[in-house]
Amino acid sequence: MRKIKVSLFVLFICILFLPLASLARDVEPIVNTTWLEQNLNNPKVIIVDIRKVEEYKAGHIPNAVNIFYGSWAIMKGGLRNELPANDDLFDVIGSAGIGPDSIVVLVGKTDAIPDRTDITRVAWTLKYAGIPNIAILDGGYNKWMADKKPVSTDAPKPKATAFQTKPNENLFVKKDYVIKSMGKATIVDVREPDFYKGVKKLDFVAKTGRIPKAINLPTSQSYKPDGTFKDKAELMSAVSGAVGTDMTKEIITYCDTGKVCTGWSFLMTELLGYKNVKVYDGSSEEWTKDPQAPWEQ
Amino acid sequence: MYKGFLVDKSLLGKDIHFSESCGFCHKGNEKGSTRETAHKGLVTKPSRNLETCDKCHEDITKPFKTSLHFTTEGQRQGVSGRFSQKELKIFNEKVFEKSCKSCHASCGDCHIKAPIIGGVNTGLIKGHKFVKKDEGKTCALCHGGRVYPEFTGEYGGIADIHYQKGMVCVDCHKKEEMHGSSTAISKGRKEVTERPRCTNCHQTGQEKTEHGQTAHKTHKDRLSCYACHAGGTYRSCYDCHLGKGASAKPSFILGLNPRDKKTVTTLRVIPTVRDTFKPAGIAMESFDKLPNYWDTAPHNIRKRTERTRSCEVCHDEKKDFLTKELLLKNGSKANESLIYTPKPIKK
Repeated sequence: MRKIKVSLFVLFICILFLPLASLARDVEPIVNTTWLEQNLNNPKVIIVDIRKVEEYKAGHIPNAVNIFYGSWAIMKGGLRNELPANDDLFDVIGSAGIGPDSIVVLVGKTDAIPDRTDITRVAWTLKYAGIPNIAILDGGYNKWMADKKPVSTDAPKPKATAFQTKPNENLFVKKDYVIKSMGKATIVDVREPDFYKGVKKLDFVAKTGRIPKAINLPTSQSYKPDGTFKDKAELMSAVSGAVGTDMTKEIITYCDTGKVCTGWSFLMTELLGYKNVKVYDGSSEEWTKDPQAPWEQ
Repeated sequence: MYKGFLVDKSLLGKDIHFSESCGFCHKGNEKGSTRETAHKGLVTKPSRNLETCDKCHEDITKPFKTSLHFTTEGQRQGVSGRFSQKELKIFNEKVFEKSCKSCHASCGDCHIKAPIIGGVNTGLIKGHKFVKKDEGKTCALCHGGRVYPEFTGEYGGIADIHYQKGMVCVDCHKKEEMHGSSTAISKGRKEVTERPRCTNCHQTGQEKTEHGQTAHKTHKDRLSCYACHAGGTYRSCYDCHLGKGASAKPSFILGLNPRDKKTVTTLRVIPTVRDTFKPAGIAMESFDKLPNYWDTAPHNIRKRTERTRSCEVCHDEKKDFLTKELLLKNGSKANESLIYTPKPIKK
């Protein structure tokens, strides 16, 4: 009983200080359709629609530019959802007119988890590129349409910038780093329980199972059925229940390809105040190809 | 009920095509009071007969009659060089008219209803609205085996830079190319003068870097743009009709362009093998006159590739170049003439 009381007190303190996490930003990490509608003409706001070109052309949020998901994550070295080369990535960011002071609002589809995490993967990639003010439109384009907000078919021509930065390489970690961190960092497997337990696997993942001692925190638990995020308190409860409340402890998330795990990574760092969260980009697809990499089934 | 076949009533007043009755295009019996009597003589795809659209769009249908989309002449030309005169006659009667030509596109396939590919029918493009273009629902289907998925990155894992910048098919392939120019094409698609060229938009001499200037100057008339700027693997099809049917796999092959034998370019395997037309009684007497590799324009162009980043990839490693060892087994004897070995850079 005493333990529960202490945990609840710690959780309360954490939630109390949550707003501090977003004070460093000029925008909340998750914005709703009302906020975005009010900021459509804010010159600092750049709305980036990451849906396919054909979908964007059929209708989009007024003033949104289209930089589709495949520009941000590519197949590289036989692995899905990898970072483009830095110079290519900087071209992509610059072509949208994004600069260090921009407030970038990401919009995508929210039909299913892979669509929803396309958005968080792009957000994480922008964080890697050093953009501090990244926000996700809660519920994406689906919610925008459901809320009957204005739609345009005019494609604005963004004023391209020459974007250059020193990326935050620590946000994406490699296999060797994860192996060395085992036993020290908290490793979070964000796949669904059947995948974590070794009952199921995707075709391109060599083996069923998980990284030893990984904790399971499925990404699906962060969303409501309509594709919007759960409330902050609910999210905090799920995260603290899985990884604890030490905001400085190193956490490494992984999934099958390094995309779905960006969901919790983004929420933990940008919304909930965790300071040391990393994404294992190669994830199970890379890990299970290596017979030397420890794995439990 | 499949809703795609219903015409949305709200469309009727908005589109001039509906100022005419359904029977104007679809025939049938407008006085029929039952489904059976009304549909008597119904034409489901009116634009297959170009005279339907001719009535109002003669300026387009007249050149379209000679376009490759309508004639599918490119398919005949691609293979006819392997036949004797006698075999060509059999091919025309037994294969081309009955098989190849079934692929031809007519007005409605691009402007009203998406073409049926492999039995998959996605229905009307926009509820029977006459659309000017909707590449994702039209071009993407007929060209969905190779070009379109390469373009969007779904095949090969990296999208074409033009798609990334929001361009789709008609941004490069203008309507004049799609609709034809009244000049009958007798040698295939490379003969179409309205085809897009990289240099229409990207003139050499305007490069921003010294590296780019030097590379373009050095390789002028020796390499195609694709040889350096194709971003990754593209689909090649193998072994069509070789007992098991065709199979496809990713490829990236560099060699001499079979059309000029002096320019190095990207090559794609075409699936015609020695017994492809055996069921039709065609042995292909001149099979070895044409190679099994043809120059191709992969639609996965990138500004930077491993070959633009490093000269060594080609000049030292000779990566992806066709070699004698890599040639298709039992392939055409013409294949060997496409082998090119890059020379080391003089230092």
